[in-house]
Amino acid sequence: MLYSSLLVLLFLPLFGAILIAILPSKQVRLIRATAIVFSGLSLLLSIYFITFGDITPNDKGLWLSYTQEWNSRLGTSFSIGVDGLSYAMVILTTLLVWVAVMASGSIKKHPKGYYLLILGLETAIIGVFMARDWALFYVFWEFTLIPLFFLIDRWGDRDRQTASLKFVLYTMGGSVFMLLSLLVLFDATPAHSFSFEAIAQGAKSLDESEQVLLFFGLLIGFGVKMPIFPLHGWLPLADVEAPGPISILLSGILLKMGAYGLIQTTMMLPLAAHALQSLLVILALIAIIYGGLLAWKQSDLKKMIAYSSIAHMGVVLLGISSLNSSGITGAIYQMIAHGFVAGALFMLIGLLYERTDTKDINDYGSLLYTTPKFAFFIIIGFIAGTGLPGTVGFIAELHVMIGGFEQWGWLMAFLGFGILITAAYGIRTIKYLFTGPEKMEMQAVQDLRPTEVLAATVLIVGILVFGFYPTPILDMISHNVDQFVQLTQIKG
Amino acid sequence: MPNWSIALIPLLPLLATLWIAVGFSFGWNRAEKGEKETAYVASISILLSFLLVLGVDVSVFLESVQNRVQVATWLSTADYQITIAFILDQLSLTMATLVSFIGLLVTRFSINYLHREAGYQRFFMLLSLFNAAMLLIALSANAVLTFIAWELAGVSSFLLIAYSWHRDIATHNAIRAFISNRIGDAGFLLGIALAFFWLGTIEWTELASAAKEKDVSEIFLSIILLGFLLAALAKSAQFPFCAWITRALEGPTPSSAIFYGAIMVHAGVYLLLRLQPLLEQVPTIMVIIMIIGLITASYAYLVGLVQTDVKSSFMFSTLAQVGLMLVWIGNAWFSLALIHLVLHAIWRSYQFLHAPSFMQQINRPARPVPKWLTKQSWLYNAALQRFWLDSISDWLFTNPTTTIAREVQIFDEQIVDRLTGTQSHANMLSSLSHWEAHQQGRLILKTEIGTGSGLFGSFIQGLAAAFYWFEEHLILKSSGEGLLKLIRHLGKHMQSIDRLLTQPRYLLLLIMATFVVVL
Repeated sequence: MLYSSLLVLLFLPLFGAILIAILPSKQVRLIRATAIVFSGLSLLLSIYFITFGDITPNDKGLWLSYTQEWNSRLGTSFSIGVDGLSYAMVILTTLLVWVAVMASGSIKKHPKGYYLLILGLETAIIGVFMARDWALFYVFWEFTLIPLFFLIDRWGDRDRQTASLKFVLYTMGGSVFMLLSLLVLFDATPAHSFSFEAIAQGAKSLDESEQVLLFFGLLIGFGVKMPIFPLHGWLPLADVEAPGPISILLSGILLKMGAYGLIQTTMMLPLAAHALQSLLVILALIAIIYGGLLAWKQSDLKKMIAYSSIAHMGVVLLGISSLNSSGITGAIYQMIAHGFVAGALFMLIGLLYERTDTKDINDYGSLLYTTPKFAFFIIIGFIAGTGLPGTVGFIAELHVMIGGFEQWGWLMAFLGFGILITAAYGIRTIKYLFTGPEKMEMQAVQDLRPTEVLAATVLIVGILVFGFYPTPILDMISHNVDQFVQLTQIKG
Repeated sequence: MPNWSIALIPLLPLLATLWIAVGFSFGWNRAEKGEKETAYVASISILLSFLLVLGVDVSVFLESVQNRVQVATWLSTADYQITIAFILDQLSLTMATLVSFIGLLVTRFSINYLHREAGYQRFFMLLSLFNAAMLLIALSANAVLTFIAWELAGVSSFLLIAYSWHRDIATHNAIRAFISNRIGDAGFLLGIALAFFWLGTIEWTELASAAKEKDVSEIFLSIILLGFLLAALAKSAQFPFCAWITRALEGPTPSSAIFYGAIMVHAGVYLLLRLQPLLEQVPTIMVIIMIIGLITASYAYLVGLVQTDVKSSFMFSTLAQVGLMLVWIGNAWFSLALIHLVLHAIWRSYQFLHAPSFMQQINRPARPVPKWLTKQSWLYNAALQRFWLDSISDWLFTNPTTTIAREVQIFDEQIVDRLTGTQSHANMLSSLSHWEAHQQGRLILKTEIGTGSGLFGSFIQGLAAAFYWFEEHLILKSSGEGLLKLIRHLGKHMQSIDRLLTQPRYLLLLIMATFVVVL
C-alpha cells in the first residue's frame, strides 16, 4: 500500500463528482450509474487496500502517512494518514455512501446536483478521518457542512429549511469552541505546527486546569456532532427531514466524526479526561436512558431511530469515559456497529416511507405477507439494535459493559436498563409493522427491488458476520486500543 | 493441499443448504420444476466433499498433510482460545469417509424416492445440513466446534422427524426426540466447561496430556467424562435414552436410514472413541460404559424379538449392535469398536433403504416370537411394553414438570402480571366482527405507543413523558428556535450598525479611534 493510494481513496469520489458536473443533466440514468460506479469503486478500493496492503503500524502508530507542507508561517500542512481506527471509519464511510447511492433510486428532483453533492460529501468525510493535522481536520470538518446543508435543504421533507439551518447553526456553534481550543493548543505548542503529534506534545506541558478548559471546548465541538445530551437538538429534526439516503449518512457516519474527534481529544488531554471522567459517564448514561425513552415515546418511525441513535452513541461515550481497554474497544466497536445498524434501519425505513408516504407507526400493519423481504431485513436490523448475541451490537455492548463495570461498578445497571428500553421499542416496532390485522392501504406496498436487496444484504451480512466473528475488527483496532490505554493511564 | 480445502469438506453441504434455502425463499426452485436443480446441488456438494475426503485420505497416507489443520481463530481471550481447526488422523478420516460415502448414497437414493413429494426442497436442504454437521463432527479438532455440529445434527434430525408437520403425531414425536437429546447436550456443555476449567484446553488431542501434566485427580476426570458420556448415550440412544429413537422413525425412510440406522446413531460411539486417551486414564468410566452397553444390547435384543413392523425391528437390532460397540469400548478394544462401527453403518444403511421394498419381496410370514420368551409371560409383557421406559420418563420428568409449570403459571398470573402489566393487544383484532368493523372504519384501534402497563410500565411512561416535555420545551423549542430568534435579533442590530457606518462622520470617527489605538 503506497501513500498515493491514500490520495486516490480520498479524491476518487471528488473526481466522480467533477465528472458528474460535466455530464448533461438530462442523462439521469448515466448520472446515477456514474455515482454508483464511483462510490462502489471507492468501497472496493478501501476493502482492497486492507486485504492486500501492508498494515503494520510505523513508529507513529500509523499504517501509512503522507505529509506535504502547506503554509509554513501558519504551521499547517496537508498531512494525511490512517491507522486501524481511522481506516475502519473510512471503510464504513465508503460502504454507507455506496448504500446511500444504491438506495437513492427514487430521487427524481435534480439528480445531477444530488449525486454530485453526495460524492463531494464522501471526500469530505474521508478527509476528516484521514487528516493528521488539526487545521486540515478542521477544514474537512467544516467542508462536510456545505453538501449536507444543500442535501437537506433541497431534497428534504416538509420542514427541511428549518432542519438544515438548525443543523448548520448547531455544528458551527460547536465548531467555534473547537476552533478556539485548537488555537489555544497551537499557542502552547513550541513546534509551531498544527500536526497531531506536535499539538499532543504541546498539550503535555499544560496543567490540569488549562487542559480541562480546552477539553470543554473540544467536548462542545465534538459533542454537538456526536451528539451528547443536551446538544442533540439538531439530530431528530435533521434525521426526520433529510431524504432517506441522507439520513443513512447522517446517523451512520456523521455522528462517528464526533466520536472520533472525542477519542483523539481524550488521548491528547488525558489529565482533563481523568478530571472530567465522572461528568462524561453521567452524560453518557443520561443519553442512553433519555434517548431510549424518547425513542420509545415516538410514533414517528424516523424520529424513533434518530433518538435511538442518541442512546447508541451514549454507549460510545460510556466506553470512552471508562478509560480502559475493554471500554475503548467497546466504544470503537459500537461506532462500527451503529454504522451498520443505523445505516440498515434508516435505509429500510426510508424506502418503506417512499412507498407508503407515512412515517406514523400506527398506520402500518400486516406487512409480513405483502413484503417478506422488508420484514426479514428490518427484523434483523432491530434485533441487532437491541444487541442480541450473534449480532454486531452485542460485542460492542458487552465490551462497554465490562469496561464500565471495571471503572464504575454497579452504575452499569443503567446501561442494562437502557438496553431493556431498546428491546421494548424494537420489538414493539416489529409487532406494529408486520403483524396485526390486515390493512387495505398496506396491501399494495411493493417489496424491495434487487438493487435495494443487494445494499441491505451487505449491511445485514456485516451485522451478522461481525457479530459472530469479531476478530478482524478487534485485530484492526488493537493498536489504537493499546495507544489509548497507554496515553490515558499516566495519571498521578 | 491447502488448509482451507479441509474446511470445504463440511462447508460444501452447508452451502448447498443455504443455496436451496435462498432459492426457495426467492422462489426459483419451488415445486416440481425446481426438483432437478435441488437434487443436483445437494448431490454434487456431497460428491465433492466425498472426493475431497478421499484426497485428504491419500495425502495423509502419503504423509504430506499434518495431523491438525488450523483454518482460523474464532475467539481468543487471555486464558482461552477457540480455534476453527480440523483433526486428520485415522479415526477422523475413517469416520469422514464413511459419513460422506453414505451421505452420497442416501442423497442419490432420495432423489427418486422423494420425487413429487411436497417437501422435496425442504428434505434436501435438511439432508445437506445434516451431512455438513456430521462431517464437522468427524473432523473438528476441538469440543466447541464438535458441539456446534452436534447441535446442527440434532436440529436437522428434529426437523426431519417433523417432516410431515401437519400430522400431530409427527410433531409430537419430533419434540419428544429433541428434548431427550437436550439432556445429552447439557452433559456435553458440562464436559466442555469443566474441561476448560480443570484442564485448560478443549482440543481433543490435548485433553489427555493436559490431564497428566496438571495432575488432575481421577474424580475430576470422571466428572468431565460423565458429561461427555451422557451426550454420547443420548445421541446413540443407549440405555436409558432408548425410547426416543423409535419415535424418530416418523421421518421419511432415507432420513431414518442415514440418521438412526447409519450415521447419527454412531456419533456417540465416535465421541467415546475420540476420548480414548482420556478414557484409558479412568477405568471406572470404562466399566460403566461396558455395563450400559450390555444393558442396552440385551434390552434391544428382547424388545426387538417382539416387534411387528420392519423399521422398528431394524431399529432395535441397531441399538443392540451399538450396545455391543460400547461393550468393546468398555473393554478397551477401541479398534474393534471402530471396525464394527464402519461395517454396521454400511450394512444397516443398505437394510434401511431397502426396508420399504421388503414388504413386496418377502412373501413368507415373519418369524414368530421364540417359544422361550412366550413362556416367560412377565418378560414377554415387559418387552412388548419396551420396559416402560417412556412411561417411566413421563412419570419421572414430564408429569412433575407440568405440575410445577401449572403452579408457576398461577403465580405469574396472580402476582407477576399485576406488577409488570400484561402485554396489551392494541393492534390485534379478536374476532371476525371486530375485523369487519375495523375494515369499515367503525372500530379504531387504540395505539399503545408511549404507554406502558403495570408498575414498571407506568414508571417508564411517566419518566418518558417528563423527558418528552423537557425535549420539546427546552431543547427543540428554546435552543433551536431560540437560537434562530437570537440570530435574527442580532442581525437587526448589525444592520443598524452597518447603516451608521455608511454615514461618513461615523466612518471618520472609527478611523480616528483606530489611530488612537494604534498610536
